Order: sequence, then structure tokens, then C-alpha cells
Amino acid sequence: MKRYDLIIVGAGPSGLSAAIEAAKRGLQVVVFDENERPGGQLFKQIHKFFGSKEHKAKIRGFNIGKQLLEEATELGVEVRLNATVIGMYMEKEITVKREGEIEHYKGDAIIVATGAAENMVNFKGWTLPGVIGAGAAQTMMNMHGIKPGEKVLMLGTGNVGLVVSFQLLQCGCEVVALADAAPRIGGYGVHAAKVSRTGVPFYLSHTIKEVEGTDHVTGVTIAEVDSKFQFIAGTEKHFDVDTVCVAVGLSPMSQLLKMAGCKMEDNPKRGGQVPIVDEYGETSIPGVFVAGDVSGIEEASSAMIEGRIAGVAASEYLGYIDEKELTEEFEKNEATLDGLRQGMFAPKNRRKLIEKTEEGCEISTNLLKYGFVADNEIERYPGVTRKAGIHPVMECTQNIPCNPCQDACPKGCIKIGEKITSLPAVDETAQCIGCGMCVASCSGQAIFLVDETYEDEYASITLPYEFLPLPEKGEKGIALGRDGKFVCEAEVVDIKSVKAFDHTNLLTIKIPKEFVMKARFYKAK
Amino acid sequence: MNSVNDRNRDIGEYIPAPDDDMLVCRCEEITKGEIRRAVHEGMYTLTEIRRYLRIGMGLCQGQTCSKMVKGIVARELGVSPAELEPATSRVPMRPIEMDVFARERKEA
Amino acid sequence: MGYTADVIIVGGGIIGCATAYYLAKKGVSVIVLEGSDHIGNGGSSRNGGGVRQSGRDPRELPLAMYGIQNLWPNLSEELEVDCEYHQDGNLRLGKTEKHMEILTGLADRAKAVGLDVRMIDGDEVRRINPYLSDEVIGASWCPTDGHANPLTTTLGYYKTARKLGVHFISGEKVIALKKVKGVIKKVITPNNTYEADTVIVAAGLNSREVLATVGIDIPMQPVMLEALVTEAQPHMFDQMLGTAEADFYGHQTKHGSFVFGGTLGLEGFTKDNGMQSTNSLAASSTCRGIIKYFPMLSKAKIVRTWAGWMDLCADKVPVISKIDEVPGLIAACGFSGHGFGIAPAVGYNLSMLVTEGKTDVDLQELRYDRFKAKQ
Repeated sequence: MKRYDLIIVGAGPSGLSAAIEAAKRGLQVVVFDENERPGGQLFKQIHKFFGSKEHKAKIRGFNIGKQLLEEATELGVEVRLNATVIGMYMEKEITVKREGEIEHYKGDAIIVATGAAENMVNFKGWTLPGVIGAGAAQTMMNMHGIKPGEKVLMLGTGNVGLVVSFQLLQCGCEVVALADAAPRIGGYGVHAAKVSRTGVPFYLSHTIKEVEGTDHVTGVTIAEVDSKFQFIAGTEKHFDVDTVCVAVGLSPMSQLLKMAGCKMEDNPKRGGQVPIVDEYGETSIPGVFVAGDVSGIEEASSAMIEGRIAGVAASEYLGYIDEKELTEEFEKNEATLDGLRQGMFAPKNRRKLIEKTEEGCEISTNLLKYGFVADNEIERYPGVTRKAGIHPVMECTQNIPCNPCQDACPKGCIKIGEKITSLPAVDETAQCIGCGMCVASCSGQAIFLVDETYEDEYASITLPYEFLPLPEKGEKGIALGRDGKFVCEAEVVDIKSVKAFDHTNLLTIKIPKEFVMKARFYKAK
Repeated sequence: MNSVNDRNRDIGEYIPAPDDDMLVCRCEEITKGEIRRAVHEGMYTLTEIRRYLRIGMGLCQGQTCSKMVKGIVARELGVSPAELEPATSRVPMRPIEMDVFARERKEA
Repeated sequence: MGYTADVIIVGGGIIGCATAYYLAKKGVSVIVLEGSDHIGNGGSSRNGGGVRQSGRDPRELPLAMYGIQNLWPNLSEELEVDCEYHQDGNLRLGKTEKHMEILTGLADRAKAVGLDVRMIDGDEVRRINPYLSDEVIGASWCPTDGHANPLTTTLGYYKTARKLGVHFISGEKVIALKKVKGVIKKVITPNNTYEADTVIVAAGLNSREVLATVGIDIPMQPVMLEALVTEAQPHMFDQMLGTAEADFYGHQTKHGSFVFGGTLGLEGFTKDNGMQSTNSLAASSTCRGIIKYFPMLSKAKIVRTWAGWMDLCADKVPVISKIDEVPGLIAACGFSGHGFGIAPAVGYNLSMLVTEGKTDVDLQELRYDRFKAKQ
């Protein structure tokens, strides 16, 4: 039977990262993935990632996938696609379905990095065609170029629900609303804000009562729920839709580990049934490691680091490196991981109501409830300042582990400092030149260039724009506020699309001066 | 887990609910009401529910419904979902045609 | 929680559940102690569902015939659960002359004890089951055999027994039995001590260690049995199938899926990881076997495989017997992989043994003290 030093199940961010670390240290590595393309969920992710440079921040997900794959292939890792690992047995044996046959392999070590699967919820009509998972919608749009529907309601306001809602809008769908049974938006405020400013309403403490239709979805009724998640009579709202998207969390795909006999636990904090592991990701079976969502739902950046840790640990397990190197590498990675697990959305803060930022600013309650920061709340944040001439306005209002804007500004106008979760602040001593690098670098699309003295009566606003078709210079349309409502007439005065912006177009609009702190989106008439 | 489970303990009567006719397991077409009734008939574990109703034994092997079933059973028993051990995982991870399963690649 | 009853049954498999049900029906109070977390977690939910007489050892054949004549026909109504019992015959298939010799031998022995089994040729086989390939040259045919659903039958006995007041406790592993003043009395678990004047040990392989605590040994060996299940297929046939070569056996269920078991040749020597895990070679081997008989199933998808330990008795038939040296103690174990079909008959006769001291079926050949040296 063919034997490898290391078998990795899953070619997503964690699996590929693990493969790279192990191959670098001399292990013979094979990676199996059941999909036709490697990268796991990364290849569906067309948005720019959060984090810092080391976490590949501001790079779009699918490009991160490509980079990882190239690196792994260069190091001699065998990546076998369309190869489903169907079973895991004693003595670290796996069976793989590939090219219409069953293959048997053994590994001296195995890393299981199978990721997660989408959760479903029950409501009347949930089995009707047209009710789909948000991940499925993403696959349709971003992998196959298929529009999931015309009019969509999104259930769930975690990052997946928010990101996919934005992608649905980019794809040309009408998103009628986002609903969530929780009283507060679960994902990043910046993700919510970019959906909100296009005019999509949020209904918190609301969930689906019924999806209507006989052979496919024709409508949906949502209603408000009380603190015990019971419907409140008379609060029903009806929408005509052909698609209902469900984004209610993920569950680890840990079945292989369970069948192999790894000790498992049911851990709601990790999203379901997960293996019991040590700090290196090693399970109760020596030499069987895990990395990424399969051991607890997080996101791609931490999955990559977990992958690195497991790859290094497997190298030590097989004697390719010594314990000293393992410890050093571990401490380095652990520190980065720890950095990612800070801020308002840190695992330890899950389901907690955070009232103030680390800087002491009050969190926008409007953002948590309606998806946008209210006009009277926005000026309390350090990134939002007013002055003569062009300057950045950073509507970044929650502590999240992300800092590319700091490095993006060639003039040093933006400071975050050592702590990656700190809110960006304006350095008053530096002079903005209006290059727009910060606007394009912000994964949350929360940075705007504002010039209150653009013309006598008019101000200009440069905003990130990722929709097609692009408006034309000189076009007259309307400016929308953070709430997506009409603010004023607007004229497009400039459009910048350069390679360094990586497909984020910078749209400059001219609006009457008094609306400078209100207008945040442009819509053609 | 092997925790002592007295099958005579009182979990109350089965009370019909308006959403009892809602499908939970799509593959095997099992409703919420059938699951709730099975609990009151003595099926106190997810494994027993699965064997009794075939729930989660279809093409998706419970990938879609197992978490929802767990929630329903836990509520009926008055315990936390985390206390219920999920049913076992079995080869193959994905359904596989018999002729594929039958063909094992010869060593090169 | 009550700790005393008329009868304590060690083991909540189909033997324990059926016996508890028939005892409760006669007004006897019963406690069933199941060591695992689930009722019917051993061979009861890990078997092919055969309700056969053909191919059985003459010593246990009377039990099989008794059950098929008296208990199986009305079992679904009685247990208020669909046992999916089909009495549409058993085909034991042969592909070579050698196979036919084996089958003829089995058939002759069964006929000698009064069972209707006959040898038929390939054409007649395909008249009964038109889906079988031309490789099949003949079969033994027992029209009164059939199959049922082991899961719903076992849990049906449990459900109905529970409704009649039987006290089931799972996760309660019996570690010792204890005599008091010369007769059986105590059943000890890590948590509790239970008491009864009659104790029935029906705990599959675990029976050996439980019985050892009162000085009784029944020679049994763990043997792994493996099976696979397909996705639902359109209805094709209702017979139970087996083969002379023993490369597969099984049937199509009411649900439409096929449940097929197979042998690998390594059964007595396989190990598991504590989760009754399957062997990596088994499913492929069984699929190859099936396709030879049913080429049209080659595109059917396997959705699940499973394995289970059988309690293979030294002479391949069970022990169903009072233990003379321990008055009040009864053993029912060592069913050797074919206990499901006879379970209702075993349960019924054990209930008679407890309440009346006699049984409808003569169990003399199945005594616990029958194991002797070769010479």
C-alpha cells in the first residue's frame, strides 16, 4: 500500500498551509480534496480579507487560494483533486474515491482539514426549491456564474450572511431584507454598513415564519420574536421573493475523525461535534492532527495559522525537526493566532454585548440593530474628522483585527499602532494627497476621501465602488446615506480603476456641502 | 458516554403542536411530529431515533438535519442539546456507486 | 427508581426486549439493564434481517419454525410498529457445481427435519427473481422463509414492553451477579444493586464475563460481521437471498434500499477501534460479490456501511438454558449471527420457562453444559 509521510485531507486554507509547512521541512506530502478546484471555500471568496499583511489581508480570498496552491506545488506537494476521502481506518489508513476507483493509502501522520458544512433551520416551507444555503448561493455566483434568483431574502446577519448579501447585490439580485432572530447583527459592522448603504433593510429579532409557494418559493413572511424566540402576533412582514438564503452558521465536518475513533466532544462554542485536541491540533490518536473549521468554526485567517501549526507539529512528530523548532514555530504562530482572536468579535466575546470600544467610544447601537451608524453617532470615532482639504474619513467603529489601511497610506495619515484591533485614527501632522490607496485597501469598504472645500458650494466624496456597470464621468445620479435613503443629487466627477486597487473602483461624486457627512453611496437615476 | 438513563423517567405527555407536520429529514421525509412522538415512545437517544425512524439514514447521512433533530429531541427530553451524543459516522463519507466501490486500484 | 423486580434481564437487545415483553404480558414485573447507551445496540441492530429456517442447524430449527408459524405473522400489529416482515421465501444461490453440492447437502438435512426446501435450476431461480444474472445456475428454495427489519422489530419490542411497565435502564453495565443462600439474587452495576429471584443473561458477547462472576463459562468468540446499505431503489423483489459461497446475503427493504452483508474471509481475526468500525477491504469485496449476481445494481449508490460483533458459540448454535448450579439464573446468548429471526420464539419460550417452568419448543439441545471434549 502506498505510504506517505503526511496525508492531508482537504485543500482549503488550513490544509494547504499545513502542506506548505510540512513540505518545507522535507516531508513527502499528499493532499486530497473532493472538489475539482483546490482552495476550499477560498475560491468562492471574492471579497478582500481582513487581518494584517501576514494574514494576507486586503487580498481577495480566491487569490489567497491561488498563492497557497502555487507555493505548495513548488514545494513538491502532490495535490489530488476530485479525490474524495471516503473512509479513515485504524493504522492511519484512508480510502479515496478517485477516477472511478477506490485507492488505499497510509500516512505516518494525517492532518484532517475537512472544514465545515452549512447549517439549516426549519420553518414552514424550508424544503421548497428556492430555499438555499448562503454558501450554495456563493458557489452558484462565484464558481459557476449563475444568478441564484431575482429577489432574495437573507436569513442570518453573521459575516457569511452579510458578505453573501453584498455579493448578491453585486450579482444583480435584489436583496429585499436581511433578517436575524438575534437582537443584534452578528457579523462585522463594516460588512453590514456596506449592505445597508445600498438601501437594504435589516430586521433584527425577526425570523422566518413561513416560506410560501407550491413548487418553488414565491414569497416569505417574517415576524418579530420575543426574548424566548417566540413569534409576536401582528408583527408579520411579507416579501415577494423567489429565493430565500439561509446563513445560520456552520458545523464542523468531523465525521472522518469520529469514524477513525478520535475522542470527540460536543462543543457549542466550536459549532458542534469536534475532536478533542492539544495545542498543536493533535487528536487522541497520536499522529492524527486537525486544522481549520473541522476543529471549531472560525474563519480563513485563523484556519491558515492552525494549518501551519499542525504542519509543523506533524514534521516534529515524524522526526524531521526537533522539539525546539516546534516550540519556536508554535509560539510565533500562537502569537499571531492570539492577535486574530482579539477585539469585539473574539471567540471569548461571542454572544456578549460590548458597549464600548477599546478606545472608550460608545458602540453604535444603531449599527447593531439596523446595519448602519446613525448620523449623530459617526463623529465619535477617531477615524472620523473634519477639516479643510482632502482627507480620509474612516468609518471603522468596532475593534476588529485588521490594519492594511495603516500601511496603505504613503504619507502616514492613518495610524492604528501596535494593537491590530485598534480603531484607525487620523494623524493630523501628515498631509493627505488624495491617492485613494486607503479607500481601496479597506476590506470593509469603510474609508472615504472627503473634500469639504472641493468647490464653493460643493464637497467631493470618493467612495469604494464594486458594482457593474461603472457610472460614467459627468453622470448625474443620487447620493444615498448610510441608511440607504436619498440624501441629495450627485454628479460623478471622477472614476479611478488602477491595478493597485485590485478591482475596487474609486468613484468621486460632487454633492452640496451640507451633505458631506451624510452621503456615502452613489446610485444612478 | 454511557450515562445511566432511566427510561421510565417522566418527560410528560406528548402534546400535538401546530408545526408537527413540518418535514425535518428531507431524504427520508420524516416530520417533526414523528420525532417528538418517538421520544415519548421511549426513544431517548439520537441513535435510537435514527434506527426507529430512519432519520438521517438517507443520501445526505444526516448532514442537513442532524442538528435540527438534536434540538427537537433535546427540547422534548428537557435536556441541553450538547448532552445528546450524535449518531455514529460511517464509511463512505459520500454515497458511492457499487461498481466504483468494487474497483480497487491495483498497486502500480 | 425501583431496584427489585420478579425478573431482571441483563441486556437490552432483541432477546432481552422480546423476553421482557412476553413476561410483562403475563403480568411479571421486569427490569432490563442495558450496558450501552442505546437499546438494541449489539447484534440486534447489526444483522441482515433474515427470518430463515433453511440453512439452520437442526438443533435450533424448531425455534425458527415455531416463530415463523406462531409469532412473526402478527408481530407488527402486536408491537404497533412496522416490522416489515415478508414471508416470500429464501433463495440460496449457486454459481458452480461445487456450490450446488453444498446447497443440496444443506437442503437434505433440512428436509430430514420436516422443512419444505427444494433444489431448483437457474431458469426457475430467474422466474422467482428475474433480476439475477445468468451466472446463477441453481439454488435451494425455501418458500416459507423471509426477512424483517431488525431495527423497528427490536425497538418495537422495547416500546411495547416499556408501555406494559417494564423498567428499562440504559448505560447500566452489569459487572457481577451474586448468589444469596445458594440461589441467584443480586445484579450489581457500578451504580446500583438490583435484586430478583430470576435473572436472565442475554448480553451477547458480554454474557461471558457476566456469567463468569457466578462461575459459568460459555465458549464464545467475537467475530466481526460487516454489511452495507444502498440508497433507495425502485421495488424489485421480496425474497431473502444468500449464496453457497457466502460472498453476500441480504434483501431489499420496504424503504427500497438493499441491505447486503458479506464475508471477507478475515472475520475471526479482525479488530476494531472500539466503535465497531468496518474493515477497509470489506465493502469493496462485498460489492464485487453482489455485482456478479445483480449486474443491474452496479450503479446503485452505497450510502452506509456498518459492522458489528457476533457472539459466535463454539458449536455455532446458541445457549438457551437454565443454569442448574445457580438456581434462578437463565442464559440466552451465543446466537452466532443468526439470532434475529428466532428472537420472538426465544423470548416467548423464555417467558414460559420463567412462569411455567416448561417451553413449547424443546430446548434440550441448547443447554449450557453441552460443550465436551472431542474425544
